[in-house]
Amino acid sequence: MTSTSSRTPRDAAAAARRHDALRRGLTVFSVPLFLCLWEAVSRSGVVNIVLFPPPSTVAVALVDWIQSGEFFDDFWMSLSRVVIGFILGALAGSIVGVLTGRYELLAALLSPVFQLLRPIPPIAFVPIVILWFGLGETGKYFLVFWGVFFTVWIAAHIGVQKVDPGVIRAAKSLGTPERRMLREVLIPGALPYIVVGLRTSISVSFYTLVAAELAGTFAGLAYRIDIAQQNLQMGKMLAGLVVLGAISAAADRLFEFAARRLVWW
Amino acid sequence: MVAEGAAGAGSPAGGEIRLDALSVVFGRGANALLAVDRVSASVAAGEFVCLLGPSGCGKSTVMNVIAGFEVPSQGRVTLDGEPVTGPGPDRGMVFQKPTLFPWKSVRDNVAHGPRMQGLSTKEARKVADEFLALVGLRAFANSRPDTLSGGMQQRVGIARALTPRPKVLLMDEPFGALDAQTRSMMQENLLRIWVEQRPTVVFVTHDIDEAIFLADRVLIMSARPGRIVEEITVTLPRPRDPSVLLTPEFLAIKQLCYAPVRRESLRSFEQGSSVGEGQGSV
Repeated sequence: MTSTSSRTPRDAAAAARRHDALRRGLTVFSVPLFLCLWEAVSRSGVVNIVLFPPPSTVAVALVDWIQSGEFFDDFWMSLSRVVIGFILGALAGSIVGVLTGRYELLAALLSPVFQLLRPIPPIAFVPIVILWFGLGETGKYFLVFWGVFFTVWIAAHIGVQKVDPGVIRAAKSLGTPERRMLREVLIPGALPYIVVGLRTSISVSFYTLVAAELAGTFAGLAYRIDIAQQNLQMGKMLAGLVVLGAISAAADRLFEFAARRLVWW
Repeated sequence: MVAEGAAGAGSPAGGEIRLDALSVVFGRGANALLAVDRVSASVAAGEFVCLLGPSGCGKSTVMNVIAGFEVPSQGRVTLDGEPVTGPGPDRGMVFQKPTLFPWKSVRDNVAHGPRMQGLSTKEARKVADEFLALVGLRAFANSRPDTLSGGMQQRVGIARALTPRPKVLLMDEPFGALDAQTRSMMQENLLRIWVEQRPTVVFVTHDIDEAIFLADRVLIMSARPGRIVEEITVTLPRPRDPSVLLTPEFLAIKQLCYAPVRRESLRSFEQGSSVGEGQGSV
């Protein structure tokens, strides 16, 4: 075989392999490189190192925070607020969404109200929530619930309506009674949409958590960031951000991992 | 009634369909569209009838009325003398798309009907396995539907439609999306199952060869508004295998079908319509 080009298929394959190796290397080094750059910029003198502390300082602040014993209180308080608010909002949102998706009359009754309430940012509720629930946990759950509920509601509502009409007909012609349609066909058919809604509301519930904790509390990650600001503990503030980011990302990954296995269709 | 025991057990009683001056109008007022125009026909119990016609001619609409998904504007459909009022397990339905439940295994898809008729999951799965054997897919019982080929999914759909032991099997271009070889195998397979189970079959197609190969009788429908313009009895002996397509007898019948189908297809083409058809769902 003769080739007029200097690039033979063999060369091309080698190039593709090199490209692949490079891509993998860059993925591995992405975060370390970012940290190094951050460290370098902080220490370069271009920025104020007090206001923009390097990652090494942040790490020390994190270790101090953990050793002080506050960290786990903060961590658990925040986590429990997110988890409880999320579960309540997800359950209520799924149930109501499936029902409004299925029953037009119920949708006619509820949708206009929900569409009115849905755009209200949970943060705007903070002052009212303090008056309603005081500084206790109920108000925190309520805010997270508020953020999650509408996102999941609309996903479930749309999900039920997007179930393949052919599949619904097949089920009917197989003698599926009306009262079993929800469980046998509509809920499983809507689940892929509900899962997307749930995943979106994981990040929503972390946003809302921040609003909830700024509303006044005695422990929590976002609360600690707020306190650290008052003490000008820049390292601790950034450590708080890092931890919030890390749990939010971990929750997202964990959810995706589980959802892909449980809702494969 | 649910199958007791073997999938191969005797034929269901009844299954006579009568269409009585059936008309279907879609929309209303100025937008009203007459889709089906006074269609009358009867199908004997255990008979295999093909509805043949151009796309958009309303054959799927007729099917949907028999299935109970569509309410006729005028006229009525009876099954063994009883008016059809809605979908039910006495009329099995196979669509152009397999419409399997994607969240269920192949076995549980087929077991759905028996479960809805009150069998326990365990009993229903046993019935499902028998019907899967009937379509040659017993080995794929645990597979997920999306891992099967189009033809295999359609066979699962047929097995699923057969589990309630329907008197009537309604098939709306079930092999339309399959390649020619697979389609030919599916047709043979279907005839074998029909002989074993002996339901009344109403089969919608736009393929002349398919209609003649399968049917006892071919009803040719006109371009919209759909009417039955020709009724051709297929005298070919059974059992049939694909070599029958090359016989002079087959070609003679095909010739009878060709002119009206061609004429109506041209009319349909000039109407520029394929409204509500092609996807097989509406």
